Amino acid sequence: MALEVMRVLTSILLCILSIAITPLLSAIITKTKAFLVGKQGPPLLINYYTLVKLLKKGSVYSESTTFVFRTMPVISLAVSVIAILFLPIAKAPSLISFSGDVILVLYLFGIARFFLIIAALDTASPFEGMGAAREAYFSFLCEATLFTVLMLFYKLNGTLSLTGYFTGTDAINIWRPEGAILILIAIALFIVLLAENSRVPVDDPATHLELTMIHEVMILDHSGPDLAFIEMGSWLKLFFYATLIADLLLPNLSPIMAIPAFLATLTAIYLSAGIVESITARFRMKLVPKFILTSFALAFFAVILVLEM
Amino acid sequence: MQTIFLSILLLSTVPVAAIAFYKQPDTAKKLGTAGILLGCIMGLWSVWHTLNAETIQSITWNWQHILIFSISIDRLSAFFLLTIFLITAASAVYGFHYLNETEKRLRTLINQALLGILASAMALVVIAHDMITFLLAWELMSISSCFLVVYDYEQKETRHAAYIYFIFTQAGALFIFAAFALLHSLTGSFSLTSGATLPESTKLLVFLLAFIGFASKAGVFPLHIWLPHAHPAAPSHVSAIMSGVMIKMGIYGILRLYVAMGPNSIVFGRTILGFGIVSGILGVLYAMGQHNLKRLLAYHSIENIGIILIGIGLGMTGASLGNQTMAFLGFTGGLMHVLNHAIFKALLFMGAGSVSHGAGTLAIDRLGGLMKRMRITGITFLVGSIAICGLPPLNGFVSEFFIYNAAFQSRTLSDTDFLLTLLAVISLAVIGGLAVGCFTKVIGIVFLGEPRTPNARHAHEASPSMRYAMQFLATLCLAIGFLPTIFARPALLAANSLATGLKTQPITALLQYQTMMKTSLYISWGAVLFALSCALFWWLRTLAYKNKPLSFTCTWGCGYTKASARIQYTGSSFAASILEFFRPFAPVHEEIREPAGVFPTKARYHSFISDIAETFAVQRIAIPTVRFMRSLRWIQQGSLQVYIGYIVLAILILLVATWLWR
Repeated sequence: MALEVMRVLTSILLCILSIAITPLLSAIITKTKAFLVGKQGPPLLINYYTLVKLLKKGSVYSESTTFVFRTMPVISLAVSVIAILFLPIAKAPSLISFSGDVILVLYLFGIARFFLIIAALDTASPFEGMGAAREAYFSFLCEATLFTVLMLFYKLNGTLSLTGYFTGTDAINIWRPEGAILILIAIALFIVLLAENSRVPVDDPATHLELTMIHEVMILDHSGPDLAFIEMGSWLKLFFYATLIADLLLPNLSPIMAIPAFLATLTAIYLSAGIVESITARFRMKLVPKFILTSFALAFFAVILVLEM
Repeated sequence: MQTIFLSILLLSTVPVAAIAFYKQPDTAKKLGTAGILLGCIMGLWSVWHTLNAETIQSITWNWQHILIFSISIDRLSAFFLLTIFLITAASAVYGFHYLNETEKRLRTLINQALLGILASAMALVVIAHDMITFLLAWELMSISSCFLVVYDYEQKETRHAAYIYFIFTQAGALFIFAAFALLHSLTGSFSLTSGATLPESTKLLVFLLAFIGFASKAGVFPLHIWLPHAHPAAPSHVSAIMSGVMIKMGIYGILRLYVAMGPNSIVFGRTILGFGIVSGILGVLYAMGQHNLKRLLAYHSIENIGIILIGIGLGMTGASLGNQTMAFLGFTGGLMHVLNHAIFKALLFMGAGSVSHGAGTLAIDRLGGLMKRMRITGITFLVGSIAICGLPPLNGFVSEFFIYNAAFQSRTLSDTDFLLTLLAVISLAVIGGLAVGCFTKVIGIVFLGEPRTPNARHAHEASPSMRYAMQFLATLCLAIGFLPTIFARPALLAANSLATGLKTQPITALLQYQTMMKTSLYISWGAVLFALSCALFWWLRTLAYKNKPLSFTCTWGCGYTKASARIQYTGSSFAASILEFFRPFAPVHEEIREPAGVFPTKARYHSFISDIAETFAVQRIAIPTVRFMRSLRWIQQGSLQVYIGYIVLAILILLVATWLWR
């Protein structure tokens, strides 16, 4: 009983800590990019300053918008926080877990995306419509990859929950006998991470030319606390995908070792996202589907290899 | 048993009797609607009793020892009856204000009468216990729905649509006749429960013949061609019944035959699964490219039939491989999707009807900004859209979650079946993703943004009875999404009756019940968690906005402030890049007349997506057949003497043939 209470308390603590550090982690990408081009870059705490600044402000709304526009930030943050509750952080069992939770989480991201797209169309802006169309296009390709990965994980250890995948004696990581195959999955997931979180080479979060953007252009009209909610939501989403990869890369460790190792891996993933962003240009829109489908091909190939083992 | 007869009697006679009062159209319509509603309520009452009863009730009539009609209600029938009565009741209420033109009062009353007849015919289809009753009810259903489609018979497209539908429904019925005839000749019985003793290869033949017939009714790709024509042509509440319920009779037929024959071959499951995957993906893809709201919804029916078939296909695969949990979850998921799709698709068709009433057009790119002008329609349509995308916390997610859970029972299957299940999972995910694309297009272009035409600017909200029907269905979507158990139990009981004739014993009732309860409970948790989390953050948002300045201005356009509604993204441009990705399966055709000359005249641009099945059917089947028939035209001379000559010649040939035969 005491053990159970300890476990739940640890999970709650981990959730709160992760939610607290996600803005910092996202700043790593910005810092890396600045460093690689020889600039000093903003301070590591920049995202907290941004949040505070946004929360202090009021908002300007477009007259075209309806309640949909105002609901979107709430749904997007709510979904990201729920996703964190199901996430095995640092390979510790998640706060909530049941068979099939991973499908629920992916579909919850689906409803957040639904509202993101319609909120963009709500403004009647041609730029935002363009971003919305691209978001709808690229996301279904990512889902194909993600569900292939789920099926592979299920084949490997017979569970259907995030905690089931990454914790326990039969945990999935690249140190298993099938580890070499799982490296393919790690790469596939990294591609999905870049695509789903609007990073270069799929989308450029820094550009100011709306014609080339996807995510940033869809939230052009949001301001103040609404924008703060959206930003927080997207940092959490990035953290979600990065944690999946980190859990996949880490071996089974004792709890004391797990947290530092996890943080180091996580930092490495954010660093590599920053490095990718610095050394590659954003793809032409026509190339993006091919890039995302590469991840699907990798995942599918991994399934075939596992079946042949 | 008596209740269901009374219900069918009310449904079929009261609206017909109401025609007699056409001089007072209001009274007549009230009478008819009341009759249909009462019939539906009694029907639901009897469904409730059947689901709780242990024994299967059946009745047989014998007419002159020639025709024997028999009827029985088991739990599979009861589940489909539930769908029929729920949607018919909602549609009848919706139709009360939807068809409200005084100059067409007689036509409206006849339409209402046919609606009642269609509902009772469908009820008869699912309770028929022998082939004769089944086929009679089936034909009654097809013909009454055909007449319902031609409500606006003045329009050429409507007549054309009804014609195509008639051809498909009758050709499909012929295949069902062939399958039943084969079954009868082999077993010597007209009963719909015979066939379990046939050899597997014969079962396969019967099943495939019947599948063609039932699939053409259900709108399975590539036999769906009639569907995108008929649904937009029919009045919206008729589309709601046809798309929500009537096409499911095809699914019922497939399941009924499956129960009757209890096949153990894996081929059945694989075939159904394959058709499900193809219908699902292509259905949503074609929907994406449509410019007419109701046509778009019609293609979504094809997609959802695909999802239902994926569920049933997984069930059959599980059943024939002895994987009982997979069988049970697949069947339950497929059946639940029958009900869920009926609810949200009826809701969406009703929403489309309100849009066409309120704004006078169904062309997606001519609408916009309707959420502010038609609030109830807008919000209920949003609920329906989220539900049809299979997103939590609404009912579409419930059935998809069950189907996913069925697919994730495939660990022990052979490599081939595992890969097929993997394909099913990937296609479910892709269908979901594309559906999000398609319905964000509808919501975003039709209901949000700025109105693109004066019609849309002056749109008005739907009449009361239409709103009630939509609110009722939207509430059901929410209720099932949060508490799946209420409707999971009927589906579970029906799924149970599917597994009875099988070689492998079904898992125990207790285990089934526990699995179902567990899965439903998880869905409820997810929905409640989502609702709580949204409420929490909404509260935090109100705190963050306390005493803050809010201002309203135009949308940010890079400093450009005189934006007109025409610079908005259109539905066509929204869908363009996804269609481009799937080009071989969904060719987009463009007709462009560019402005030319010193004084350019009006330019024109028209794009449409062509349905490869329809192109194939027209180019490769219809046109060659017509050409061949034309070459035989000389037989028809048009003079009586020649025809008498033909008769004499035919008799002579027969006589000679029989003489030689001996």
